Amino acid sequence: MGDQERGKLGVHSYAAELQERLKRGEPGNLVVRDPGPLFQNKIADEIFNLCRANSLWPMTFGLACCAIEMMSLGMARFDISRFGSEVFRPSPRQSDLMIVAGTVNKKMASAVMTLYDQMPSPKWVIAMGNCAISGGPFAVEENYNVIEGVDKLIPVDVYVPGCPPRPEGLLEGILKLQEKISGVRHPFPQRKMSDAPSY
Amino acid sequence: METAQQNLEPATDIPHDNRYYLNMGPQHPSTHGVLRVLLEMDGEYVIDPQPVLGYGHRMQEKMAEHKNWMAFMPNTGRMDYAAALPYNHGYVALFERICGIEVPARAEYIRVITSELNRIVSHHLWIGAMLLDMGAFTPILYTFDDREQVLDILEDVTGSRLTYCYFRVGGVCKDIDDNFVEKTRAFIKRQRERFDVYNKLVTGNIIFIKRTEGVGVISLDMARRYGVTGPVLRGSGIAYDVRKNEPYSVYPKFDFDIPTGQNGDSYDRYLVRLEEIEQSLRIIEQALDQLPDGPFLAKVPKKLKMPTGDSSFAVEAARGELTYYLVSGGGDIPYRLKIRVPSYSNLSVLPELCQGMLLSDLVAAMGSMDLVIPEIDR
Amino acid sequence: MHPATEKLVTALSEQSIVLNECDYAERGYHFEIDLDAGRLREFAQCMLEQEMYLVFVGGLHVDPAIEIIYQFASYDRLCRLVLRVVVDSNNAIPTISDIYQGANWHERETRDFYGVIFIDHPNLVPLILAEEDVDLKPLLKNSDNIKESAAVRWVTVEEQPETDEKADTD
Repeated sequence: MGDQERGKLGVHSYAAELQERLKRGEPGNLVVRDPGPLFQNKIADEIFNLCRANSLWPMTFGLACCAIEMMSLGMARFDISRFGSEVFRPSPRQSDLMIVAGTVNKKMASAVMTLYDQMPSPKWVIAMGNCAISGGPFAVEENYNVIEGVDKLIPVDVYVPGCPPRPEGLLEGILKLQEKISGVRHPFPQRKMSDAPSY
Repeated sequence: METAQQNLEPATDIPHDNRYYLNMGPQHPSTHGVLRVLLEMDGEYVIDPQPVLGYGHRMQEKMAEHKNWMAFMPNTGRMDYAAALPYNHGYVALFERICGIEVPARAEYIRVITSELNRIVSHHLWIGAMLLDMGAFTPILYTFDDREQVLDILEDVTGSRLTYCYFRVGGVCKDIDDNFVEKTRAFIKRQRERFDVYNKLVTGNIIFIKRTEGVGVISLDMARRYGVTGPVLRGSGIAYDVRKNEPYSVYPKFDFDIPTGQNGDSYDRYLVRLEEIEQSLRIIEQALDQLPDGPFLAKVPKKLKMPTGDSSFAVEAARGELTYYLVSGGGDIPYRLKIRVPSYSNLSVLPELCQGMLLSDLVAAMGSMDLVIPEIDR
Repeated sequence: MHPATEKLVTALSEQSIVLNECDYAERGYHFEIDLDAGRLREFAQCMLEQEMYLVFVGGLHVDPAIEIIYQFASYDRLCRLVLRVVVDSNNAIPTISDIYQGANWHERETRDFYGVIFIDHPNLVPLILAEEDVDLKPLLKNSDNIKESAAVRWVTVEEQPETDEKADTD
């Protein structure tokens, strides 16, 4: 479906807005007007990024099937808390990571954007599962209700494909996000996962 | 009202500016998925709860009119993701009924074994999630541990952990082997020892009893007017189970009971589901003992030619009676597929059931109904 | 036949409602009834007295007019009934949501998907679709894939020769 047909769904398209801004000559990476921290000090920023990467607190935002795999990740077998996400916060004001797990449809779109706006900066978004990446199995020709990808609404940092992705897959997504935040894959000397190649 | 003693009348001698609207939004730790409940409150008492649906609507009935059965199978796994195999079962059995296709015996047994394992998984998820809603964090760790044992067994044979697409018209897509049988027997033995843990941790827990006893009593008359089915109905003492009432597949060959409750409150619904896990273990044991040899998939033409007409098939999903109703105009794509999901009717009792309740009782009552919202919104 | 089902059949024939018995192995239900909209409410009242519960209310878009399909079943015995009612010329049909409260949501959903108005329904607002999609009516067929009402029914043996042609043109 082309962009003009996606407009039928009647939601604000982040991709379209980005195109407009680029046409007008504004830089493409400043769509979210985040001015950044008040005091910028390189060493302090590096330490803070290390801390932020190691203590990402996700918000409980399970919408559909992927939510169960996200819950499994929080439970004893896969255990996300050894990577820093000790608690899942239901309130957006107290979390810094939004894992969009499931399908976003027209009715839910405004709730997603409101919740994203309510999170304090710095904040990150993981799009988990095929539905959040691109509409998944519901991006068919007769689609009238499903938003094809949550990145039409909010900026996404890491995409975790799968339908649903295994909990280890989501864990890899979180590790990639940690690498994006702090620059290093295992920010603290954690025990490497056996059989995984060392980067 | 014939509902429980805990539904107290709000005080009438103070000026009523205590009324306000509280939005239990689509994102909430205690709603199982994206359910929004608009609560008109009077202080701490709920006057009128109105569920608002549609936040998980994924156009399943529309997609069914454009896809043939093989293309729609993944959708059936995603409607109720916690117990997806009965949804698969109802869908393929509907086509087998309307086209008159015979399923080999081994395939029927495999279907029953995997469906019952899925029911156990779903009830475990429910126990954990309901207690998490009420604030208890420990039981969910135990139930998810048991779940993982079964998910490993099912993953070996179906390939997925959650949204299964394992059944086909005419049988199942992959056979089970001795490894599966051995692991399942080991799981049955382990699970029977785990009931002790749940009874000590949850069933006898005084806080749990106080929060659920007498809360959300559903009478037979209310159940009939709303079409309530499943463990919610059986908690009120009515022994209606599609596996016994309208038997399908090879269920008549097994000997199992239908657990019922006496009072119809949330505590009885919990006991019914706990007992259903034990009955599912009995069915699996008998099925493994009687498992015949033979083919696991019948020969079915690639393009099914359905006669014109309509047909209906009911199965017992983990949450109640699931009915598929198909209208076909010939060819291989359905003209209309109506999916009647159990949680839809179960949730529709909420406005009548929860009038005058405390807010925390509403959370307990809603949790005991075992809702999965994408199934309701389809 | 179960004695309670016989009671049901006699109660309905007293009101001169015709029940067609169907082959359960082929169709999954026992009785099929075609009724006009004026008799719907007394039928629903009779079902409630005969201790049947409402399974679902769904719509079906066929050529002359939309048909609404009701399915009833019983908790104590094996008895499933399918009822079809055709909407009238204004796309409206009486509601049964004061008799069977569960029909409240089923009727709202049918209105969302087909645009059928349920007369005297207490709260006919969108249930599943978004507020701005109140006129979307997604499950209505368009002119190239709609079928006639007779083309989606079972053929009886006497009618085989004529309807063979209809099946061939699919």
